[in-house]
Amino acid sequence: MSDEGDNLSLTQIKATDQMKQLMVEYYIEAKTTTEKPICWITSGGPVEFLIAMDVIPVYPENHGAMCGAAKIAPGLAETAEEMGFSRDLCSYARADIGGAVKQDGAIPGGLPKPDFLLCCNNICGTVTKWYEELSRYFDVPMFLMDTPFIHTTKTKHATEYVRQQCLELVGFLEKQTGREFSLEKFAEVALRSVAAVELWKGVLKTAESRPSPFTCFDAFIHMAPIVTLRGTQQVVDYYELLKGEMEQRIADGIGAVPEEKYRLVWDNIPIWYAMRSLGNLFASNQACLVADTYTTAWAVDIKIDDPLTSMADAYTKVYLNIAIDIMLDQLLGLMEKYQADGLVMHSNRSCKPYSLGQYDLARAVTERTGKPALIIEADMTDSRVYSEAQVRERVEAFIESL
Amino acid sequence: MGAGLEKLAALREDPYAPARSWKERTGGKVIGYFCSLAPEEMIHAAGALPVRISGENRVISKSGAHLQSYCCSLARTGLDMALEGELSFLDGTVFVHTCDTMQRLSDIWRLNAGFVFHGDVVLPVRFEGDLARDYEVKELSYFKERLEEYLGDIPDDALAESIKTYNRNRSLLSEIYGLRLENPGVLSSVDALTLAHSSALMEKSEHNTFLEEVLEELKSTGPADGSKVRLFGVGSLMDQWDFLGMLEAVGATMVDDDFCNGRRYFDALTPEDLAPVEAVAARLWERESCPCKHLTKRDRAARLLDRIRRSDARGAFFFLFKFCEPHGFDYPYLKAAFDKAGIPSLLLEIEQGSVSIEQLRTRVEALVETIKI
Ligand code: SF4
Ligand code: SF4
Repeated sequence: MSDEGDNLSLTQIKATDQMKQLMVEYYIEAKTTTEKPICWITSGGPVEFLIAMDVIPVYPENHGAMCGAAKIAPGLAETAEEMGFSRDLCSYARADIGGAVKQDGAIPGGLPKPDFLLCCNNICGTVTKWYEELSRYFDVPMFLMDTPFIHTTKTKHATEYVRQQCLELVGFLEKQTGREFSLEKFAEVALRSVAAVELWKGVLKTAESRPSPFTCFDAFIHMAPIVTLRGTQQVVDYYELLKGEMEQRIADGIGAVPEEKYRLVWDNIPIWYAMRSLGNLFASNQACLVADTYTTAWAVDIKIDDPLTSMADAYTKVYLNIAIDIMLDQLLGLMEKYQADGLVMHSNRSCKPYSLGQYDLARAVTERTGKPALIIEADMTDSRVYSEAQVRERVEAFIESL
Repeated sequence: MGAGLEKLAALREDPYAPARSWKERTGGKVIGYFCSLAPEEMIHAAGALPVRISGENRVISKSGAHLQSYCCSLARTGLDMALEGELSFLDGTVFVHTCDTMQRLSDIWRLNAGFVFHGDVVLPVRFEGDLARDYEVKELSYFKERLEEYLGDIPDDALAESIKTYNRNRSLLSEIYGLRLENPGVLSSVDALTLAHSSALMEKSEHNTFLEEVLEELKSTGPADGSKVRLFGVGSLMDQWDFLGMLEAVGATMVDDDFCNGRRYFDALTPEDLAPVEAVAARLWERESCPCKHLTKRDRAARLLDRIRRSDARGAFFFLFKFCEPHGFDYPYLKAAFDKAGIPSLLLEIEQGSVSIEQLRTRVEALVETIKI
């Protein structure tokens, strides 16, 4: 991973080294394996099935974030743009397609080629189109896990549709791997996944204390394992370690931002290439971003007595698959729980499902809580559309208004 | 040009005039929708008038407070019209699950536009396999129940009747399109596309009468100028009539298209021998699919090329809305397939309200010249 994202607390998080080690080992295995199949999967996809089938999951979105942080995403995106992909399309997709063609990226030689693809559209419709392109480019099969969007009601037939697709996915994976699916093994994986998610929630919860032991910029970095490898024992171990360290910080009264005065909530995907400068900017203004809507997206519940139904349910109601009024309730919940003084929204031109609706959300949050909201226009990895000076000015004015 | 076709020109200026006058005349309810995958027959069978909302060429004022500038103009201008009260003839709106933008527009619309009825039809994204088909039927039945709560019962025989009326419309449009393949000079591209487009703006049986007249007129027209360069149009919605006029002026004509207010709108018939809800589901499934739907077994490039071949088009143009993800992602692969098949093409990205015909003209002329050589 890049230097940009290593440590955004002014005080060093010790567990970072372990996390880096974990991620490096994971990418080395993915690059060098000869017996395990590789499956590219979307960030909201049901990875538990892959882990249970000994398939290595590879996340173009995680890699996209790394490329963003390393500031190499625009270069990769240009390759895709030369192929005809518009600059207005999601920059993760552009960087990934460009990276696949150039065999390049934040890890040497780019991501290992997929044997098959697992796309879950619970985060956006963009991934469906993006993975269709990957499926054509690599000439490998693609499984689409179709999770109907929840506007006002979560219907029974939608949950049933997703649950049935989980079974279909099992068949697909058996065919692709030539191995048999074991429900027992799957239950073990699901158990570890639940344990990791619980620990991750525990880590995020420590930010409720004043001062907060970490900022959401740290959470963005430390979320990589819960996204990519939940269901494995290493991830459980890792979050135990991280949670312990955060609890120790609370006991010692150590805050991520010295003299924390303002507490803010962040909305949307990080601006990966500007994380360090933004982190410093907020910290130097005594503002700590204590929570965000992005890292909590992985804090879902899976019930062990009926893993399939509860998984179908959990994967369908993730944050980006619900209407903005349901999002609002969750946002208000975060603001209250973390005693936030304001909201910072990244209006991310790459991500329409996350960004369209933010103007309404910002107004509603201010109406309901009396707390101000700031909207920053940017892109998560495409720094070509970012104006640092303008953002700095707006952030400073915002903090002054608090 | 006959009287029928003259009426069309007025429609291009004031697309919602027929809906407003229908409402005045009948006192019935008008239901708007954005996407041509909306189960219109159900709305029609309930005695209401389904009308397609397609944005318009305008500089937005009110919707900028709800939608960022990187959102397609269809959503931005459509919402603007609603917030300005220009769609006050609507009693409700129906949103079909297609792209991320429409999905969010549905939320914003429901919370701000203030119509009595709001319906979401969360169709599957997969348009393949028994699971998705089963879900599709259930979702349509569920939607029908919501619709009935508002509009009153939709008996099966009424739905069957509406299906017939809609099928008649589809057959007529398809006959007219077919006639143009033989004899493109009889009807300009502007008029041909307006015929399809206007179908979504009027009561169906009225439109049928209208189409019948037009068809009679066309049949009695002899062979017309067939020297224009035959082009194929691809995109979501095409409502830039001046652009099509310019196309004709530079010596080209659009003989067939893959627009959702063109061929995709009337493609495939609803089976008349199935239970009505299943029948509606069956047609949406079989219809020329849009890039918002995932298909692994039906190759969109191959299908389009087949249509290009059948229409004897010598070139193609992609007419896409800026910021449109589904069409934007399909473009490079379609373009590559067209190139390989020797069909030169042109990419035009537009935003309603800021189209410069002059700029587009130079590019279209260049395409036409390449084909002529
Ligand atoms: S950034 Fe947004 S549009 Fe892109 S893949 Fe992620 S959720 Fe989808
Ligand atoms: S499909 Fe494209 S043009 Fe249509 S609403 Fe979605 S983004 Fe806009």
